[in-house]
Amino acid sequence: MTLATFGQPALIAMAGLGLTYNTLVVLGGVAAVGCGAGVVGSLTLLRKRPLVGDAAAHATLVGVAGAFLATGRRDLPTLLAGAAVSAVAGLLVLVLLRRFTRTREDAATAIVIGVSFGLGLALLGGITARGIPGGGGLERFLLGQTAALTARDAALLAVISLLTIVIVTAVLKELLLVAFDPAFAAATGWPVGLLDAGLMALIAVMVVIGLPAAGAVLVTALVVIPPVAARQWTDRAGSMLVLAGLFGLTAAVAGVAVSSLRSGLATGPLVVLAAAAICLASVVIAPRRGWLARRLRSRIRGGDDQP
Amino acid sequence: MSSDALALHGWSMLTAATVSASCALVGTLLVVRRMSLLGDAIAHAVLPGIVVGVLAGGRLGGPLVLAGAVVAALMTVGLTRGLRAAVGLAEDAGSGVVFTTLFAAGVVTVSLFASRIDLDPECVLFGILELAAFDLVSVGGVEVPRALLTATAVLVIVAGGLAATWQLQISTAFDQEAAAAAGIPVAVVTTGLLSLTAVATVAGFEAVGAVLVVAMLVVPAATAELLVHRMHQVALVAVAVAVAAAGLGWLAAWRWNTSAAGMIAVVLGGFYATAVVLAPADGLLARLVAKLALDWRVAREDWLARIWRAGEQAGAAGASVVRPRPRTGLERAAAVWLRLTGRVERSAGRVRLSKDGAREAELVVRSHRLWETWLGRHADLPADHLHPPAEWVEHHLGAAMRERIEAELTAGEADPHGREIPPEAGRPDGPPPVV
Repeated sequence: MTLATFGQPALIAMAGLGLTYNTLVVLGGVAAVGCGAGVVGSLTLLRKRPLVGDAAAHATLVGVAGAFLATGRRDLPTLLAGAAVSAVAGLLVLVLLRRFTRTREDAATAIVIGVSFGLGLALLGGITARGIPGGGGLERFLLGQTAALTARDAALLAVISLLTIVIVTAVLKELLLVAFDPAFAAATGWPVGLLDAGLMALIAVMVVIGLPAAGAVLVTALVVIPPVAARQWTDRAGSMLVLAGLFGLTAAVAGVAVSSLRSGLATGPLVVLAAAAICLASVVIAPRRGWLARRLRSRIRGGDDQP
Repeated sequence: MSSDALALHGWSMLTAATVSASCALVGTLLVVRRMSLLGDAIAHAVLPGIVVGVLAGGRLGGPLVLAGAVVAALMTVGLTRGLRAAVGLAEDAGSGVVFTTLFAAGVVTVSLFASRIDLDPECVLFGILELAAFDLVSVGGVEVPRALLTATAVLVIVAGGLAATWQLQISTAFDQEAAAAAGIPVAVVTTGLLSLTAVATVAGFEAVGAVLVVAMLVVPAATAELLVHRMHQVALVAVAVAVAAAGLGWLAAWRWNTSAAGMIAVVLGGFYATAVVLAPADGLLARLVAKLALDWRVAREDWLARIWRAGEQAGAAGASVVRPRPRTGLERAAAVWLRLTGRVERSAGRVRLSKDGAREAELVVRSHRLWETWLGRHADLPADHLHPPAEWVEHHLGAAMRERIEAELTAGEADPHGREIPPEAGRPDGPPPVV
């Protein structure tokens, strides 16, 4: 029991801060999710499709409610499995609309967002109105609520996040090639369609496991804001991914920690606000690309504010 | 249903329909200007504006809240453009940062002040359509839901604003540069559209919640675009779709005892899906039927033309020609069909074209050879590359085109392969020989 003996003083200190073992594990899980979301989100930002996760995110609600109705269970793995199915279905509908109708891409995205979220709300509303036992807690997937997470749930989220990061690292070169020059990638024989589909799948996974922390409405922010912040600090893709991961991790942990100070506050908005604060700071003070640096440069050179 | 319940449902449906109509009107322009996702962003971002308006003492649907929402909407666009100007961030990523942040700020504020204002995170997401019929005010002796009054005022503002600037909006939507060159103040027109979007969104927000507003903005217009093409028709059909969906969605929610906002979005999705499949010109079904009809005509014409050519060859070479066989399933079906309708006759293992069949076949062969001749003269293609394009164009060359090409030729000229071009009126010596 080295861990226990080693950790005892720390445990006592934690108890003093009002932190329990469970809170710590949840924080760890959420940190891993924030990190993974930042890493995968960086790739979609570089691929110039930053909002592709939004359609998947809003579609998850149907799966959460559907999984509960189909199995009668409300444990996290079951609900998230349902969410994953409906997220992929939402993306598939989006691809089909783009391929087979005259509807413009942005309108098709908005349609998937609005209609799938409406279906999810209708299912949730039906569950609540019928008073199906255990159905009341499903609303926490709208705006995120980590208070209900168990240590096992958090561990599951952490494992999936780390797996995602490992996969991204393994195929990073190919994903970056497709992101920076899809035409060249296709011409040199890389399966661009397959890699894009893979990236979509990764973003769907991140959106799904981001649900407990950020909720269906705001989880998009978890894959958009940290990468935007990270982009300000560096021109190298590798550093950007690492930084976005760190920013996402920080935002997720800060949001969850603040929400635990006060009951009844959804975690999603707090995580988003934490990420937004990091982003604002990055946009203003980052060297070279930041707003201040550009202003200074244009003062010195007289007008040219390109980095 | 008792008359009380009827009144309750009636008022709520009417409110939902009025709100939907306003959203559908601005949505028409948003969709055609590829600003659907900006509509989504605005629908989220008005929340802090509404909250600040309420905290400042305004009431939902009141002028203070409307003003707050318009400011928040313009702020979303301003901040997004500011991010692009300041650090070169693309607009979609920028709006993703801005609207999620504003919405999050709104939700947190609502949660913190939940006890002081009559808004809570639930109603931010679900809307309060169900409660509309309980907050009544008296208008000329009739008890009317306050939300309906707001919705009507919003509809008047939106419809009036769009009607007054419709031509400017259309010109700006289709070609901003041309509009600017013609002296239209494009920035003012766009800001006007965004403000009207914010106003319509506030009404929609109250009725169905933040996220579903995007369905009310975009789906009616996207549906209408599949059905009609002129802009004012799109706007009118969008309004009709929106009103019908509001009514049906409300009824469905009442029937299955669930969220009215959610069901309205689901019904809208159903309308859109129906239009995707059944739209008269752009629908999947119509396109499938048109494609099959074309394939079927091509198969019939190809089969007739191949028998005709084989007959021509047999006439030139004596009777030893390989009889053509259908190459595809569709051509086999076409062969059976043509025999049943008497254009191909078969007796004692030999095949011949009837008079009608021969006439149709001649026109196809004539189109084919005329096109080869024309291409040979003008397109600078080697002779062995002329056949493939002609094989396709032969099915699409009308009598007028054939006449124009023939006018270029000298009388009795053969095609580039030295074969006879059948005359438009048919060959004087009747159908080609038996194969």
